[in-house]
Amino acid sequence: MVNKGKLKMALAADKSTGYKKLNLKKKEKLARKTKSKKGGDTPDVGKIVEGEWEDVEGSEDEVAEDEEEAVGAAVEESVSDEEEDDEVAGKMEIDFAGIDESDSDSSAGENDQNNSDSEEEDDEDIPVSDLEDLSDGEKEDLIPHQRLTINNTVALNAALKRISLPVSKMTFSEHQTITTSEPVVIDDVSDDLKRELAFYAQSLSAAQQGRKLLKEEGVPFTRPTDYFAEMVKADEHMAKIKAKLIEEAAGKKASAEARKQRDLKKFGKQVQVAKLQERDKERKQTLDKIKDLKRKRQGADTTTTNEADLFDVALEEETSSKPSRKNREGPNKRAKKDEKYGHGGKKRFKKSGDAMSTGDLKGFSSKKMKGGAAKRPGKARRAGGKR
Amino acid sequence: MASVYKSLSKTNGQKEEAPANGVKRNKQRVLILSSRGITYRHRHLLNDLASLLPHSRKDAKLDTKSKLYQLNELAELYNCNNVFFFEARKGKDLYLWMSKAPNGPTVKMHMQNLHTMEELHFTGNCLKGSRPILSFDASFDKEPHLRVLKELFLHIFGVPKGARKAKPFVDHVMGFTLADGKIWIRNYQINETEPSKSTAAVDGEPKPKQKHGRETEISLVEIGPRFVLTPIVIQEGSFGGPIIYENKEFVSPNQVRSEIRTKKAGRYNQRAEQGVERLAKKGELGLRTSGGRTMPVDELDTGKLFA
Repeated sequence: MVNKGKLKMALAADKSTGYKKLNLKKKEKLARKTKSKKGGDTPDVGKIVEGEWEDVEGSEDEVAEDEEEAVGAAVEESVSDEEEDDEVAGKMEIDFAGIDESDSDSSAGENDQNNSDSEEEDDEDIPVSDLEDLSDGEKEDLIPHQRLTINNTVALNAALKRISLPVSKMTFSEHQTITTSEPVVIDDVSDDLKRELAFYAQSLSAAQQGRKLLKEEGVPFTRPTDYFAEMVKADEHMAKIKAKLIEEAAGKKASAEARKQRDLKKFGKQVQVAKLQERDKERKQTLDKIKDLKRKRQGADTTTTNEADLFDVALEEETSSKPSRKNREGPNKRAKKDEKYGHGGKKRFKKSGDAMSTGDLKGFSSKKMKGGAAKRPGKARRAGGKR
Repeated sequence: MASVYKSLSKTNGQKEEAPANGVKRNKQRVLILSSRGITYRHRHLLNDLASLLPHSRKDAKLDTKSKLYQLNELAELYNCNNVFFFEARKGKDLYLWMSKAPNGPTVKMHMQNLHTMEELHFTGNCLKGSRPILSFDASFDKEPHLRVLKELFLHIFGVPKGARKAKPFVDHVMGFTLADGKIWIRNYQINETEPSKSTAAVDGEPKPKQKHGRETEISLVEIGPRFVLTPIVIQEGSFGGPIIYENKEFVSPNQVRSEIRTKKAGRYNQRAEQGVERLAKKGELGLRTSGGRTMPVDELDTGKLFA
């Protein structure tokens, strides 16, 4: 709308219609309008309508009314304004400048404050509200600039000049600042290790340089070992840190130990199984041995008592090898418990004798009935044996 | 201890006088205080920094957040020419103001990633009030606003020579590094150890040092605290005056939080939209009982066949 207004104004300017002339034409037009309304002349209607339409638009625009009227008149006058556009261009620019001032430029004040570089960046700035329509992917790439950059270099320099210490004139011990010769470059700021290393290197070089400079100036640098004074971190604080370190170390050690134990347990199970198998085997072997011996003994009854004694001892040793825990409460533990606490039917008459127990000859030995157990040797022999 | 100090101050005596006769002496005093509403971590950080700066004067919390110009009067009251002010917002965001008291300039910065000495558990330690060596990144000299920042750091964190409570030895370094548009601040203890023969044999450099005398090797141990600063604005005056620099890239933590919230809300909106779309699609295919397109009745429909 504004542009159109401008164009028309420019046209009007081109025609160099003075206001007086315009007023005349306006009157003429009004007169014609009234005529046409009264008379209803057909050929004029189109033009008049055009004029009225222009009027309506003119009221919408924020341009003075009479100017707009003049434009209407101008339009009526020249049917072929488009052809004249080229000629108009020169003067149009001037008019635009005038319109701009009155109309829409509110940023003029800000521009005064800003520097030249900020003006460049004005164009790049996108209001944040426009960004909401973008997808997330696009959003990530953009850095929303919602404010104008103010970077008043002149004022900054002036402020700096006002407060700055004459570092170059002062001795180093006076200010103790060191600036690195080259800017510290950190590729990836989020990489903690690299970043801290860069900081460390910067400070280390400064410390070395600083010590050199201070020693040249004869200023004490190193704290003597017998100089005690209040520290930034109090003793309690340091004790806390120490405790923390110790705790950390202990934790590490404990976890290592636990891991070792776990591994051992895993391995230990295998060892245990192997051991059990071995013990089983051994037991089987002994039992076989005992059976063999028993058979032999029953076959060859007339062995010397000495031999028998020897065997007996051996046997006793073999059989009385300590009853291992595993054997004692083996797989029949459950059965025993069931028996005791009431699993597996009635307990009545359980202890009374029956046909089976009567027929059981486990405790019977004819040998015992005949000569009893091995006779007790005589006193002299016994004494001899002791010796 | 006193004798050591005496002997040291004697040797220094002549040198101290020399600059005093000159034009300007580095004379700084810093007023350290915070606004109301800081958390315990902010408070501890403030205490840590105050303990590192013997030329500072700590004051009670400032009541107001809007009338910061009152700080100028406070600074005048305590004879301070620097103000170091922590402003807490919403009980979580911390802004750091640094100002040259009567005439400015003032810098406002956003403080992030702050860790106090206590929670960092670093083994480093230094004398309370010893003068640090300030190490600056060369990038500080590139732009005028960074130069202003550097100067302010120098005034506030650099302990001036002859400060009342300062100790005569140098045993820590403060590092100021510019990375990612932010200023990273670290504090290290200077640890001097006798050069071990093995390293001297390996490295080429320590050898000549040893010839000069008993030069010790320097290593650093971090003391803490740690923090990161993002400059926001620089004002010409002290807590007032025109803004002469504004950081365009600074995104306020409020905006970050709100973006996170909207993003979260967006997930629901997306799902709801999907639901509507699915309904519309079903309607289009004639799979809905009401609304949408109705399917033409098939000749072989069971309803029709067995009517």
